Formats: sequence, C-alpha cells, structure tokens
Amino acid sequence: MTTSNTDAGVAATNALSSTGAASAAPVEARTTDRTPRTKRHRHPRRDNLVAYLMLAPMVVLLIIFVIIPFINAGYLSFFNWSFYKPSEFVGFRNYVNVLEDPDFLGSIGRGLYFAAMVVPTGMILAFVFANVVKGLGKKLSGFVKTSVYIPTIISGVIASIIFVVIYDYSGGILNWFLGLFGVQPIAWLADPSIALPALAVPAVWIGFGITALIMLAGMLDIPDSYYEAASLDGAGWFKQMLFITIPSLKNVILYLLIAGFTAAIQEINLPLVMTQGGPLNSTLLPNLYLFNHFTQDTYQGMPIAGALLLFIVLGAISAAIFSILNSDKAVDG
Amino acid sequence: MAMKERASVRVPRIIFALLFALAALFPLIWMLLSGFKMNSDVLATPFNFFPTSWHIENYIKIIQDPAFSRAMIITFIGAAIFTVFSITINAMAAYVFARLDFAFKRFMWVIVIGTMFIPNMAILLTSFIVVTKLHMLDTMLVLIVPGLASAAQMFFIRQFYLNIPIALEEAALLDGAGRWQIFTRIFLPMSQPAFVVVGVTSFMAYWNAYVWPIMTITSPGLFQIQQYLANFRVTRGPELALLMAGSMLAALPVILLVLIFQRKIIGNIKIAGLK
Repeated sequence: MTTSNTDAGVAATNALSSTGAASAAPVEARTTDRTPRTKRHRHPRRDNLVAYLMLAPMVVLLIIFVIIPFINAGYLSFFNWSFYKPSEFVGFRNYVNVLEDPDFLGSIGRGLYFAAMVVPTGMILAFVFANVVKGLGKKLSGFVKTSVYIPTIISGVIASIIFVVIYDYSGGILNWFLGLFGVQPIAWLADPSIALPALAVPAVWIGFGITALIMLAGMLDIPDSYYEAASLDGAGWFKQMLFITIPSLKNVILYLLIAGFTAAIQEINLPLVMTQGGPLNSTLLPNLYLFNHFTQDTYQGMPIAGALLLFIVLGAISAAIFSILNSDKAVDG
Repeated sequence: MAMKERASVRVPRIIFALLFALAALFPLIWMLLSGFKMNSDVLATPFNFFPTSWHIENYIKIIQDPAFSRAMIITFIGAAIFTVFSITINAMAAYVFARLDFAFKRFMWVIVIGTMFIPNMAILLTSFIVVTKLHMLDTMLVLIVPGLASAAQMFFIRQFYLNIPIALEEAALLDGAGRWQIFTRIFLPMSQPAFVVVGVTSFMAYWNAYVWPIMTITSPGLFQIQQYLANFRVTRGPELALLMAGSMLAALPVILLVLIFQRKIIGNIKIAGLK
C-alpha cells in the first residue's frame, strides 16, 4: 500500500501480479480441489490453527492499513469531515460536488489525454523493440534487456530532476539539440499546451522497459513452427507479423494496455515534482488533484469521494476487461 | 527461427537494439556526466555533453553533506528492514494459501487478493488517519509497517510454491514434521529465486517512495532520500552539479541490485495465466 510508490514501473509490476490474481480463481479452485483429495485419507484434519497463525501477520496488517482505511474512506465520503471540526452527514453531496468541480473533471480529462500519449507510444516502441531483440544472440540481448529495464527502477523524483534540467529553457540539452536544426528555444514546462506532452516523455522512458520485456516474453512464447509453416506458404515478414505475431500476442497487448492505462492515469510523481500541476493546471493529473486537496483542504469529504469514484471506475474497467480476457481463454481451451 | 539470419538482416537488428539501449541509458549517462561538471556548466550555452573539466569533488562534497549521507543511510536501513519483514510475512501467507486447508480459506483469499485492487490514492488520507491514531507519524515505523503486507508479493511467492512438488512435503508429513517445520526446512531454502524478485521489488518500492514520506515525515533528521533530493532541488536550485551527483548516487543502490540479480529478475518477467 502506502510505501509501494506510484511509479509507473512499479505500478506495472504490481499490476502484473494482479493479472495473475484475476485469473487466479481457476488455479485456486484446482489446487484446493486436489490437495484435500490426495490428503483426505491420511490427514483428515484441517490445519486451522497453524494456518491462522501463519496468516495472522499479513491479515492483521492488511486489515489495519488497507481494509479499515478503505471502509473508513467509504464512510467519510458521506460526511463533511475535517481533522479539526465535528463532522456532519451530508449524504451524496460530496459526490455531487466533486462531479461538479471543473478542476476534478479537468484532471480526469487530462489523465485520459496523458494516458493516450504515454500508453500507445510505449506499446509501439515496445513492439518494435521486442521484434528487434527476439532474434539477437544471448549476450547482446541480455545487455540490451538490462539497459532498457534500468529506467523502470529509477524513482519518479530522480526522473523528474533529470528531465527538468533536460527541458531547461536556456541551457537544457533539448533546446540546444533542436537549435542545431534552427528551432527556436521552447519553454517545455512553462507553456500550458506543451507541458503535459513534456511530462509524457519521462513517463514513457520509465515505463518502457517493463512493457518491452513483457512483450518480448510473450513473443518468445509463440512457437517457431508457426513462422516456419507460414514462410513455407510464402508469407513474408509483414504478413507473418500481421497474421501470427499480433494475434498470438492479443492477450498480452490487452493486458499491457490496461496496466499501462491504469498506471498512467494514476501518475503523480512527475507532475508533483516537475510542475506542481502548473502552468495553469495543465499538468494537474487526477492523483495530484486529490493529493493537493488532501494536504490543503480543511474539509476532506469531497476529495475522498473523488478518490473512491476514481477507484470504482478504474476497478470496473480492469475487472470487465479481465473477465472478458478470462472467458476468451476458456473458449480457446 | 532456426534458420540463420543473413547479415543484411542481422546488422541493422544489432544497430537498432543498441540504439534502444542507448536511448534508455542516455538520461542516466547524462546525469552521471553532469555530476562531474561545474555547477555553472550543467546548463551552459553552448552546451557540452562531456564536462570541460572533471570535478569529482562534487561526488565527494555531496557524500560529505551530513543531511545527504544520513538520508541515504536511513533510507537504506529502512529499506533493508522493510524487505526482510515483507518477505517473511508474505511468504508465510503464500505457503498457507498454497498448501494448507483451513476453515474460510476461500473467504480469506478473496479478502486478501481484493486489497490488491485498492489504489494508494483511495486510502491515502484514511491511512494517514490510522497512522496518526497509532502515534506513528514522524517515526521510521510509519515508513516501514503500513506497506509490509502485500497481496501482490504474496501472490507471486504462492505461484512459486504451487510448483514445488507435493511429494516432498508428504514425505516430511509422514516423518512427523509439522507445517512450520516444513515451511522453514523445505520451502524457505527453496524460495531463493522467488525471494530475489520480491526482495528487489520491495527494496525498490521503499527506496523510491516519495508521496507517503512527504505526508508522514516532517523532521529533517528522518528525511528519506527521495524527500532529500526533491527538497534539495527546491532549496539549493543553483547547485545543479551537486544535485546531479546526489541523484546519481541515490539511483545507484537500485541499479546495482538490478545488475547483480539481472538474470533472475529479468528472467522472471512473464505473465502468469496470460498467453
């Protein structure tokens, strides 16, 4: 929860395991089925005591630091709540207020725009990367894979620091480079129409490695025989990609889209450190909107309601697509 | 494909791959080099990619800044403790879910896995209320304890445990070993590959955390490294080379971890259940 940061890379890794979780149900059913059946004769007892003792630390921590806060958030979202004053029940007013707040709606729109820039760019680059690296020798591909993975583990703060300096108006490397082609210097982070795309670049940089490696893993899972058969039939490189690679990767691509989308829309470190949401709120992404209200407002009901709305929408999207994904797999056998 | 590629395909492939690697590493190389420049040189016009003169003293100076060293050491200790406890707690739960049968197992599973879908931001404020009530604010505890239990980490370890043959365990059970003994004597020694991955992830999550520390830590003596860097940028803006040197050093622990364990970590990046 709290210490796991909102960094795109880590979010992707976490989401990575959550995919597994979504598809865990059948796996779970299988194991619980199997374990008792083989054991039933010899070990009729259930290991209740030892199970609960070993589970206790995790469950107690989750209850205190995740479940109680979550339930409490649901409860407080119906109150005009403050640290300092008695709270007052207001029903759905917080929800109405936050949905009528142009800043909140604006931040959602911006989040979607941000994701629309970050996710497809990262996916296309990752697809090209995976195609390139797939055929390389072990040594070189190992080096390249490690190289692209390293940005994924860099903190949002450090990435922000690097890119703020790269984007510097008068002395930054980017404007210097463009200047070689006669382009006038651009105020990357000070111009409301460019600031958000300028934040998308470090976001792609951070998220690219994990996306590319997952894509590559998916690609390496496609049996060589498919390609051999296709090339015997005279299918060229492009046709093979269109009719074998992309269809075989369908689920991986879908998964990366969802994971990338939920990570991008929840980005907070980059705008928080690089621009503080400015200029003119042009980089005020949803989580930064919520964070600002949490740290600055006296009454917290409204941002809590906003956070829960965001959770419901994002959770519903993931759940819906994951269930489609699972049922699809069931059909495939 | 089994067929040997022609050089006309292979050479551009190699060049493209190296370009990807270069593009990914470029910002870091540039940060490393900037750390060797004079403060005024980092943003000088005309721009110099390489330092005109090498100033290794930036790296020495930032290490000698007591606030920086303290932040590095404190964050390192916190991350190490966090990693050890997080592995222990999540591995125990993973074993229980992978191998034991107990009352309300399904119910507990749903509860635990459900927490994975709750975003940090949805509970940021109410977690803050909890740690306030527990008097944890502005202590190392607030950084370590709340994030220890992780359903995602538990799930990853459990997937690994599901692949350990049941026969091993049944033999031990017949010999009269208890569940706890089986866990510590059989599962823990075999867990190293999984623990490397979740350990590095935990360490990284703690090391890179920023939002939670700035909400809960106010004493400069307890500043975490990301907090220190962000603060440095605001308060000592002109000392850019020093900031770059500090950022480079702050990135180093996680980079080293990945380089040391690269094969295990990168080899483990696949998607369970997706094909």
